[in-house]
Amino acid sequence: MEERGGRAGGFRKDTVDRLLRLHFRDGKTRVNADAQLLMAELLKVFVREAAARAARQAQAEDLEKVDTEQLEKVLPQLVCNCGPELHGSRMSIGAETA
Amino acid sequence: MAAAGEERQMLAQRLKAAVHYTVGCLCEEVAEDKDVQFSKQSIAAISDITFRQCEIFAKDLEMFARHAKRTTVTTEDVKLLARRSNSLLKYITQKSEELASSNMEQKEKKKKKSSTAKGERTPGEQEAAVTENEDSNMA
Repeated sequence: MEERGGRAGGFRKDTVDRLLRLHFRDGKTRVNADAQLLMAELLKVFVREAAARAARQAQAEDLEKVDTEQLEKVLPQLVCNCGPELHGSRMSIGAETA
Repeated sequence: MAAAGEERQMLAQRLKAAVHYTVGCLCEEVAEDKDVQFSKQSIAAISDITFRQCEIFAKDLEMFARHAKRTTVTTEDVKLLARRSNSLLKYITQKSEELASSNMEQKEKKKKKSSTAKGERTPGEQEAAVTENEDSNMA
Protein backbone atom coordinates (compact mmCIF):
# COMPACT_ATOMS: atom_id res chain seq x y z
CA MET A 1 0.00 0.00 0.00
CA GLU A 2 2.95 2.33 0.45
CA GLU A 3 3.95 3.58 -2.95
CA ARG A 4 7.10 5.57 -3.20
CA GLY A 5 7.92 7.89 -6.05
CA GLY A 6 5.90 8.08 -9.21
CA ARG A 7 2.45 9.55 -9.21
CA ALA A 8 0.75 8.06 -6.22
CA GLY A 9 0.90 10.29 -3.17
CA GLY A 10 -0.09 9.09 0.25
CA PHE A 11 0.58 9.28 3.93
CA ARG A 12 3.41 7.33 5.43
CA LYS A 13 2.43 4.71 7.92
CA ASP A 14 4.69 5.97 10.68
CA THR A 15 3.61 9.58 10.16
CA VAL A 16 0.02 8.49 10.63
CA ASP A 17 0.96 6.61 13.76
CA ARG A 18 2.69 9.63 15.26
CA LEU A 19 -0.15 11.92 14.25
CA LEU A 20 -2.65 9.80 16.12
CA ARG A 21 -0.48 9.19 19.15
CA LEU A 22 0.01 12.94 19.50
CA HIS A 23 -3.64 13.22 20.48
CA PHE A 24 -4.34 10.12 22.47
CA ARG A 25 -5.28 10.85 26.03
CA ASP A 26 -3.89 7.62 27.37
CA GLY A 27 -0.18 7.03 26.94
CA LYS A 28 -0.84 3.33 26.61
CA THR A 29 -3.02 3.59 23.52
CA ARG A 30 -1.41 2.13 20.41
CA VAL A 31 -2.42 1.63 16.80
CA ASN A 32 -1.77 -1.71 15.16
CA ALA A 33 0.02 -1.84 11.80
CA ASP A 34 -3.05 -2.60 9.70
CA ALA A 35 -5.01 0.18 11.35
CA GLN A 36 -2.17 2.58 10.57
CA LEU A 37 -2.30 1.62 6.91
CA LEU A 38 -6.05 1.92 6.86
CA MET A 39 -5.93 5.34 8.49
CA ALA A 40 -3.38 6.41 5.91
CA GLU A 41 -5.93 5.46 3.26
CA LEU A 42 -8.70 7.26 5.07
CA LEU A 43 -6.67 10.43 5.35
CA LYS A 44 -5.74 10.20 1.70
CA VAL A 45 -9.42 10.00 0.82
CA PHE A 46 -10.17 12.90 3.13
CA VAL A 47 -7.62 15.15 1.43
CA ARG A 48 -8.59 14.11 -2.08
CA GLU A 49 -12.23 14.69 -1.31
CA ALA A 50 -11.54 18.17 0.05
CA ALA A 51 -9.40 19.02 -2.97
CA ALA A 52 -11.81 17.56 -5.49
CA ARG A 53 -14.85 19.31 -4.02
CA ALA A 54 -13.00 22.62 -3.94
CA ALA A 55 -11.95 22.04 -7.54
CA ARG A 56 -15.54 21.42 -8.55
CA GLN A 57 -16.58 24.58 -6.77
CA ALA A 58 -13.95 26.52 -8.70
CA GLN A 59 -15.19 25.02 -11.95
CA ALA A 60 -18.75 25.93 -11.06
CA GLU A 61 -17.57 29.49 -10.55
CA ASP A 62 -15.71 29.38 -13.85
CA LEU A 63 -12.35 29.77 -12.18
CA GLU A 64 -9.11 28.07 -13.12
CA LYS A 65 -7.56 28.46 -9.74
CA VAL A 66 -8.82 27.02 -6.50
CA ASP A 67 -8.46 29.39 -3.60
CA THR A 68 -9.49 29.43 0.04
CA GLU A 69 -12.87 30.94 -0.87
CA GLN A 70 -13.84 27.81 -2.76
CA LEU A 71 -12.56 25.63 0.04
CA GLU A 72 -14.59 27.53 2.62
CA LYS A 73 -17.73 26.81 0.68
CA VAL A 74 -17.24 23.06 0.51
CA LEU A 75 -15.76 22.53 3.92
CA PRO A 76 -18.85 22.40 6.13
CA GLN A 77 -20.25 19.32 4.46
CA LEU A 78 -16.92 17.58 4.36
CA VAL A 79 -16.02 18.04 8.00
CA CYS A 80 -19.49 17.48 9.37
CA ASN A 81 -19.39 13.89 8.15
CA CYS A 82 -23.13 13.69 8.41
CA GLY A 83 -23.53 11.10 5.68
CA PRO A 84 -21.89 12.84 2.73
CA GLU A 85 -21.32 10.51 -0.16
CA LEU A 86 -17.97 10.60 -1.86
CA HIS A 87 -18.74 12.32 -5.09
CA GLY A 88 -15.86 14.72 -5.52
CA SER A 89 -12.95 12.37 -5.95
CA ARG A 90 -12.91 9.48 -8.33
CA MET A 91 -13.09 6.22 -6.50
CA SER A 92 -12.20 3.17 -8.48
CA ILE A 93 -14.18 0.49 -6.71
CA GLY A 94 -16.02 -2.18 -8.73
CA ALA A 95 -19.61 -1.05 -8.39
CA GLU A 96 -19.65 2.59 -7.47
CA THR A 97 -22.80 3.89 -5.83
CA ALA A 98 -22.14 7.59 -6.20
CA MET B 1 7.60 20.84 32.41
CA ALA B 2 8.23 23.57 29.85
CA ALA B 3 10.67 21.31 28.04
CA ALA B 4 8.04 18.61 27.53
CA GLY B 5 5.62 21.20 26.14
CA GLU B 6 8.26 22.49 23.77
CA GLU B 7 9.13 19.02 22.60
CA ARG B 8 5.50 18.38 21.86
CA GLN B 9 5.30 21.61 19.93
CA MET B 10 8.32 20.64 17.87
CA LEU B 11 6.87 17.22 17.15
CA ALA B 12 3.60 18.83 16.13
CA GLN B 13 5.46 21.16 13.79
CA ARG B 14 7.32 18.32 12.17
CA LEU B 15 4.12 16.36 11.72
CA LYS B 16 2.39 19.39 10.24
CA ALA B 17 5.22 19.70 7.75
CA ALA B 18 4.94 16.03 6.83
CA VAL B 19 1.19 16.40 6.36
CA HIS B 20 1.69 19.51 4.29
CA TYR B 21 4.06 17.68 1.98
CA THR B 22 1.67 14.81 1.37
CA VAL B 23 -1.29 17.14 0.98
CA GLY B 24 0.70 19.01 -1.66
CA CYS B 25 1.33 15.78 -3.57
CA LEU B 26 -2.31 14.75 -3.41
CA CYS B 27 -3.52 18.18 -4.50
CA GLU B 28 -1.17 17.99 -7.45
CA GLU B 29 -2.80 14.73 -8.50
CA VAL B 30 -6.28 16.22 -8.19
CA ALA B 31 -5.15 19.32 -10.05
CA GLU B 32 -4.02 17.19 -12.97
CA ASP B 33 -7.16 15.14 -12.83
CA LYS B 34 -9.57 18.08 -12.77
CA ASP B 35 -7.41 20.41 -14.83
CA VAL B 36 -7.31 23.17 -12.22
CA GLN B 37 -4.67 24.85 -10.13
CA PHE B 38 -4.51 25.07 -6.37
CA SER B 39 -3.27 28.24 -4.75
CA LYS B 40 -0.63 27.82 -2.07
CA GLN B 41 -3.08 29.13 0.48
CA SER B 42 -5.70 26.55 -0.40
CA ILE B 43 -3.15 23.74 -0.08
CA ALA B 44 -2.04 25.12 3.26
CA ALA B 45 -5.64 25.33 4.36
CA ILE B 46 -6.38 21.71 3.42
CA SER B 47 -3.23 20.69 5.19
CA ASP B 48 -4.27 22.56 8.32
CA ILE B 49 -7.74 21.08 8.29
CA THR B 50 -6.35 17.58 7.82
CA PHE B 51 -4.03 18.00 10.76
CA ARG B 52 -6.88 19.16 12.96
CA GLN B 53 -9.14 16.39 11.75
CA CYS B 54 -6.52 13.91 12.95
CA GLU B 55 -7.10 15.06 16.48
CA ILE B 56 -10.79 14.27 16.17
CA PHE B 57 -10.03 10.92 14.54
CA ALA B 58 -7.48 10.04 17.20
CA LYS B 59 -9.86 10.75 20.05
CA ASP B 60 -12.67 8.81 18.42
CA LEU B 61 -10.40 5.86 17.71
CA GLU B 62 -9.17 5.83 21.26
CA MET B 63 -12.74 5.83 22.54
CA PHE B 64 -13.75 3.00 20.22
CA ALA B 65 -10.82 0.88 21.35
CA ARG B 66 -11.49 1.65 24.98
CA HIS B 67 -15.16 0.76 24.51
CA ALA B 68 -14.04 -2.63 23.24
CA LYS B 69 -11.76 -2.86 26.29
CA ARG B 70 -8.58 -2.67 24.23
CA THR B 71 -5.58 -0.38 24.36
CA THR B 72 -4.68 -1.04 20.73
CA VAL B 73 -6.64 0.57 17.94
CA THR B 74 -7.53 -1.96 15.24
CA THR B 75 -9.00 -1.88 11.74
CA GLU B 76 -12.44 -2.42 13.26
CA ASP B 77 -12.11 0.93 15.01
CA VAL B 78 -11.08 2.59 11.76
CA LYS B 79 -14.11 1.15 10.02
CA LEU B 80 -16.33 2.59 12.73
CA LEU B 81 -14.79 5.96 12.00
CA ALA B 82 -15.85 5.65 8.36
CA ARG B 83 -19.42 4.60 9.13
CA ARG B 84 -21.24 7.84 8.33
CA SER B 85 -20.54 7.80 4.63
CA ASN B 86 -21.61 4.71 2.71
CA SER B 87 -19.11 5.03 -0.06
CA LEU B 88 -16.29 5.81 2.34
CA LEU B 89 -17.16 2.82 4.47
CA LYS B 90 -17.25 0.62 1.40
CA TYR B 91 -13.86 1.88 0.26
CA ILE B 92 -12.28 1.43 3.67
CA THR B 93 -13.81 -2.01 4.11
CA GLN B 94 -12.41 -3.06 0.76
CA LYS B 95 -8.95 -1.77 1.66
CA SER B 96 -9.18 -3.61 4.93
CA GLU B 97 -9.96 -6.85 3.11
CA GLU B 98 -7.03 -6.31 0.75
CA LEU B 99 -4.80 -5.87 3.77
CA ALA B 100 -6.14 -9.00 5.43
CA SER B 101 -5.58 -11.12 2.35
CA SER B 102 -2.06 -9.81 1.78
CA ASN B 103 -1.32 -10.57 5.44
CA MET B 104 -2.54 -14.13 4.87
CA GLU B 105 -0.20 -14.43 1.89
CA GLN B 106 2.72 -13.22 3.95
CA LYS B 107 1.96 -15.73 6.66
CA GLU B 108 1.82 -18.53 4.11
CA LYS B 109 5.20 -17.51 2.76
CA LYS B 110 6.72 -17.39 6.21
CA LYS B 111 5.34 -20.80 7.08
CA LYS B 112 6.85 -22.32 3.98
CA LYS B 113 10.19 -20.68 4.56
CA SER B 114 10.42 -21.53 8.21
CA SER B 115 9.71 -25.18 7.50
CA THR B 116 12.69 -25.34 5.14
CA ALA B 117 15.08 -22.89 6.82
CA LYS B 118 15.04 -23.62 10.53
CA GLY B 119 14.91 -20.34 12.45
CA GLU B 120 16.95 -18.41 9.89
CA ARG B 121 16.05 -14.76 9.37
CA THR B 122 14.09 -14.46 6.13
CA PRO B 123 15.12 -11.79 3.64
CA GLY B 124 11.66 -10.28 4.01
CA GLU B 125 12.23 -9.58 7.69
CA GLN B 126 15.61 -8.03 7.06
CA GLU B 127 14.15 -5.71 4.48
CA ALA B 128 11.47 -4.63 6.91
CA ALA B 129 14.14 -3.74 9.46
CA VAL B 130 15.90 -1.51 6.95
CA THR B 131 12.77 0.35 5.95
CA GLU B 132 11.90 0.94 9.61
CA ASN B 133 15.13 2.88 9.99
CA GLU B 134 14.56 4.80 6.79
CA ASP B 135 11.11 5.85 7.89
CA SER B 136 12.28 7.34 11.12
CA ASN B 137 13.42 10.63 9.65
CA MET B 138 9.97 11.52 8.40
CA ALA B 139 11.16 14.02 5.83
